[in-house]
Amino acid sequence: MRSVAESLGLELDLRKTAAELSPPQRTCLEIVRAQMRECRLLILDEPTAALTDREAERLFSVVRTLKEKGTAILYVTHRLDEIFRLTDRVTVLRNGAVVDTVETGSVDRERLIAMMTDSVPVRAASRRRNFGGVLLAARDVASRDGSVLSGELCVRSGEILGLFGLGGSGRTELLECVYGYRPMSAGTVELSGVTQTRPTPASSLQNGMALICEDRRGKALIGNLDVRDNILLTSIDRFTIGGVLHRKAEDAAVRTQIDALQIKLAGMGQRIAELSGGNQQKAVFARAMMTSPKVFLCDEPTQAVDVLTRDEIHRLLRQKADEGCGVVFVSSELSELLEVADTIQVMRRGCTVRRWENENLTAQQVLSCCYET
Amino acid sequence: MRLNKEDLRRTLQSYGTVLALLAIVLAFSAIRPGSFCTLTNFINITRQISLLVVISLGATVVMSVGEFDLSVGEMASLGGVMAAQMAVAGAPLAVCFTLPILASAVVGLINGWVVARFQALSFITTLGMSTVLSGVVYRLSGGATVFENIPDGFSALGTAKLGRVPLLSVLMAAFVLIFWFVMRHTPAGRKFYAIGGGEEAARIAGIRVKKYKVLAFVLCAVMACATGMLIASRVGSANTTAGDGYFLKSYAAVFIGCTASRRGVPNVLGTLLGAAILGVLANGLTMLQMPTYMQDIITGAIIVLSVVAQRLGREDGR
Repeated sequence: MRSVAESLGLELDLRKTAAELSPPQRTCLEIVRAQMRECRLLILDEPTAALTDREAERLFSVVRTLKEKGTAILYVTHRLDEIFRLTDRVTVLRNGAVVDTVETGSVDRERLIAMMTDSVPVRAASRRRNFGGVLLAARDVASRDGSVLSGELCVRSGEILGLFGLGGSGRTELLECVYGYRPMSAGTVELSGVTQTRPTPASSLQNGMALICEDRRGKALIGNLDVRDNILLTSIDRFTIGGVLHRKAEDAAVRTQIDALQIKLAGMGQRIAELSGGNQQKAVFARAMMTSPKVFLCDEPTQAVDVLTRDEIHRLLRQKADEGCGVVFVSSELSELLEVADTIQVMRRGCTVRRWENENLTAQQVLSCCYET
Repeated sequence: MRLNKEDLRRTLQSYGTVLALLAIVLAFSAIRPGSFCTLTNFINITRQISLLVVISLGATVVMSVGEFDLSVGEMASLGGVMAAQMAVAGAPLAVCFTLPILASAVVGLINGWVVARFQALSFITTLGMSTVLSGVVYRLSGGATVFENIPDGFSALGTAKLGRVPLLSVLMAAFVLIFWFVMRHTPAGRKFYAIGGGEEAARIAGIRVKKYKVLAFVLCAVMACATGMLIASRVGSANTTAGDGYFLKSYAAVFIGCTASRRGVPNVLGTLLGAAILGVLANGLTMLQMPTYMQDIITGAIIVLSVVAQRLGREDGR
């Protein structure tokens, strides 16, 4: 093992546990492990995600050494500069399909970004330009776990704010911080005139904010409860008489939401896990509506739902905005944001970096902002 | 009526546990019609299962939030010893029966706080607490059964009868009713089940997960303590290991009870059913003069089967 490490120019203390190693050392350890058997193809999936620039340099030199020794390397990354520094050929994927494979020397940055972007013309939806007062203002938000370093969020009445960022940029985490689910280490959240440094889900709900989670099965729905109880989850204390649940009032309120959102189900007592993805997501929205929020934080609200429901959700959010609510819309599909949002804001490595009015904005502009380093 | 496979499965899922109880009762009635299938014996069975039911109700609540409390047995022993010692010391009976309850609430508070605050494994946490409590029991009693100079009134709760019905059976019915109501018709019950179904989802929905987890552990410890005091009152003495046998049986009752629920979750009526199955088996097998080890084998096998059935019951359960 030592000889393998030395042949790659790596210094590893072989007696330490993996947990004691630094992140780049761990990556190197994995490479050494791969080299223990004759490894002819090495796949590196975002190897620099957890590394600082200097640590990445060391990894690059290892990669070059391996390349000289004849190992083929498949290097997956979203950092374009790494592609130009390390690779010979580049394959671009978009929406699960290969766009093209080209010699790295024959393309430039702009060409690559263009390949990654949908060239479909963006449908001009009924966007707004005049907004009301600020409903939610989050400033200098940092999460305790370091996934958000400096997040800003400002949503006005009538506005749909599209929040975009690459995987790991901290968009989900920012929403969770603002909502009070993920612990914050710094920053303030001002909602309905109340400024808080440590919001909680209960206080957020109380002050008129709802969170639609990305992780529908894990964080939004409780699979072994029925549809009814899932929709009532945030308003358990609301329908009580003398501390006793008032089932008739509950049923009526749930029925209203089910009808309004046209959720297709066998009955309110059906288990939520038995519904289709689209109807499950509608149930999540039905729950949000139960507390009549002024601000909707929607994290990938249209993922894994059918096309019809997707349109319904877009319309619903636009309707809510027109009624004076504010919406934050996170999507990893840039074309969806360009279609839906009034304003677009980009996050990169835990920081909010830029904000545009969504007018004559192109996917290239937004994407290149995500890739700048 | 023609049943297809799916219908059959659903029916078995909903009523299988009730049918099992009926089958057991019918079998014993057929074998021993004269002694088993009598009103006196059935009333007797309600008394025999009453203590198990009371302690299992607390376990039902803790399991509904997705946790375990393995210290219920020792808590029961401690409750009995505390109550009996205070009675011997001449404290008013009301005090004898309320102070241990307060003490057990503190124990539950600690269990719940450790589990909820540090996200510690409840299995290990309460196992540790169980050992601590056994030490406390020994410190209080010196390892000896408390039985001398216990005032007559102390035994009233465990031995009194209302007509032909033992007070214990009535108490059991009252507790079942209260817990059934709380779990089914109050916000607290709804929140317990939400936390047990998905802790993160419950937290995001604004439910104060820590608070309700602590509450569940407090309820469990209090019920265990009450059971211990009732045992002491029933036998007129406090054995330092009186609660030991109740720990596994109470969880067995809860697990059997889960199979009576469409969703496979702990529920009060199911727990009553589970305790009844265990109680009828013990009663009937004793009547058949089955050796104790056979009873153990049969009871243990039923527990394992019910755990499997509970897992199969939750379709999405992984």
